[in-house]
Amino acid sequence: MAPVLPLVLPLQPRIRLAQGLWLLSWLLALAGGLTLLCSGHLLVQLWHLGTFLAPSCRFPALPQVALAAGAVALGTGLGGAGASRASLDAARYPPWRGVLGPLLVAGTAGGGGLLVFALGLALGLPGSLDQGLEEGLGTALGHYKDTEVPGHCHSKRLMDELQLKHHCCGRHGYKDWFGVQWVSSRYLDPSDQDVVDRIQSNVEGLYLTDGVPFSCCNPHSPRPCLQSQLSDPYAHPLFDPRQPNLNLWAQGCHEVLLRHLQELASTLGSMLAVTFLLQALVLIGLRYLQTALEGLGGVIDGEGETQGYLFPGGLKEMLKTAWLQGGVAHRPAPEEAPPEEAPPKEDLPEA
Amino acid sequence: MALLKVKFDQKKRVKLAQGLWLMNWVSVLAGIIIFSLGLFLKIELRKRSDVMNNSESHFVPNSLIGVGLLSCVFNSLAGKICYDSLDPAKYAKWKPWLKPYLAICVSFNIVLFLVALCCFLMRGSLESTLAYGLKNGMKYYRDTDTPGRCFMKKTIDMLQIEFKCCGNNGFRDWFEIQWISNRYLDFSSKEVKDRIKSNVDGRYLVDGVPFSCCNPNSPRPCIQYQITNNSAHYSYDHQTEELNLWVRGCRAALLSYYSSLMNSIGVFTLLVWLFEVSITAGLRYLHTALDGVPNPEEPECESEGWLLEKSLPETWKAFLESVKKLGKGNQVEAEGAAAGQAPEAG
Repeated sequence: MAPVLPLVLPLQPRIRLAQGLWLLSWLLALAGGLTLLCSGHLLVQLWHLGTFLAPSCRFPALPQVALAAGAVALGTGLGGAGASRASLDAARYPPWRGVLGPLLVAGTAGGGGLLVFALGLALGLPGSLDQGLEEGLGTALGHYKDTEVPGHCHSKRLMDELQLKHHCCGRHGYKDWFGVQWVSSRYLDPSDQDVVDRIQSNVEGLYLTDGVPFSCCNPHSPRPCLQSQLSDPYAHPLFDPRQPNLNLWAQGCHEVLLRHLQELASTLGSMLAVTFLLQALVLIGLRYLQTALEGLGGVIDGEGETQGYLFPGGLKEMLKTAWLQGGVAHRPAPEEAPPEEAPPKEDLPEA
Repeated sequence: MALLKVKFDQKKRVKLAQGLWLMNWVSVLAGIIIFSLGLFLKIELRKRSDVMNNSESHFVPNSLIGVGLLSCVFNSLAGKICYDSLDPAKYAKWKPWLKPYLAICVSFNIVLFLVALCCFLMRGSLESTLAYGLKNGMKYYRDTDTPGRCFMKKTIDMLQIEFKCCGNNGFRDWFEIQWISNRYLDFSSKEVKDRIKSNVDGRYLVDGVPFSCCNPNSPRPCIQYQITNNSAHYSYDHQTEELNLWVRGCRAALLSYYSSLMNSIGVFTLLVWLFEVSITAGLRYLHTALDGVPNPEEPECESEGWLLEKSLPETWKAFLESVKKLGKGNQVEAEGAAAGQAPEAG
């Protein structure tokens, strides 16, 4: 029954291990806290931009999972710091002996699983953002005029505030506004011949104009904002809409929002990767410390050399012991511990 | 008859010293916070100095920064003194400096109180600076070709969007100035020629406002031009329409923003002042209690601590007499030296 990856640990290296582990645990707690903050920030941003993301878009799942993973990493870090601090003090170690086992299991299974899941989401989900934003912005643009329809009455205000804050206009450019009716029918004069002509000129009976709302205006322009008759190059003195100008915001809101959310997601992804690395190191170190101290029978200051290891036996023997133990009625924790320690073995080459 | 006498035994003295040490370090933290609040206020004033004509007074944020730094210095020094007071040998070297140090602390507390008061009083000067600066800013709105003023349009537009306001006192201020540059007016049009001829200064005045005055909460697309002409727009009455443009003037909006900022800073500074006064009083008690110990080699004995050795009127009399004595001795430097040297305690 050869132990897996054994390491001989006399007193001095044990103390060094405990001290290094204490530092790493605090770093892990810091990384976990930062991940929590980052995912909280992303959640708040998504809450504000909720109307512009289609409900079928799964992107909000990423910050939620990252929040849970960050919380577990923070807990593991604090627990690891306490355990490594206690392992240097003979009087404080005994209560930690019982806690270390479940802590390692929870950290590996819960924390490791959540982190890997969150990392996977961080890599895969931003691709679905494109489609979600396309649909969401299209709906918002269509409902801009519905300021009196319950359920959509805030669309105009939210769209205006989005364009003012993010410095964008329309979905991919200002011409998107030419294709939707953004003036509510309530404020259209039915006796005006121009209005009647425009409504009759298209199949759906929409009042389409070559104008944009005020929120598309760019304050950097040297002239007062031109919002109407934007397809006619002769409508305004000295203004040709075909030439580059500062009159309206040039970017579309789709590109701006996509870039903004993807940046946040990639920051979150890198934070998750760092947390994963630190958590793997802390858990391995804690396991070695635990097994080394168990070898001494829980006596900290023993001068003797002990061996620390990751698993007491090879994979086959572990599964056999687990199977035998499974036959006897007992509490589930020891049965789950050996098989659950097998998947982290696959994680180790990754880390 | 000493003022507010308190008996101190060894344990009480040690507790007082330890408590004061902790309070001093908390006070250092408070000093750092005041420093950063002063810095923040300075940056906020700088950000909007364009609409204040670059003439706003930076007295309050500068004094907050100075007071914050001084508080850090004095309180860390006091912390060191309190820490050393537990050891008679170390305390002996601080003994001669304590009386002048306490005098400095008292004057610092007075300065801190005055700075806290100033935070509440700056509102008046800010109001007049803002009124003047905004008026000028709106006047230069159209000068996007004039070097040195070309940014004013962008500044005013961003200000109106951010603070949700329009004009100086309201949107009608825009009716009285020409905010459209001559470069973009079609002088061959009859309408333009009529408007320019209709007023003495030959300005192109319209009953319209820039786009940044528009309120996104309005259910209808923004009406920027011909605001007072009901017949120009369908189903529109400019007297009952409230959501079309921002109703508040930018002067009121900016004033309320800066007032609330300075009020909260002032309240925090007053709380810190109260804390500092209690620290100074505690330090005075510690000083007199340790001085009252008859034999430094036997610290176990009791001693008395007080704020003033004699009652208030007697102390004031003694102070005046010492001033007169100094005055008689050196007539040239009497005023300056006496006021600085003679501590309140006499």
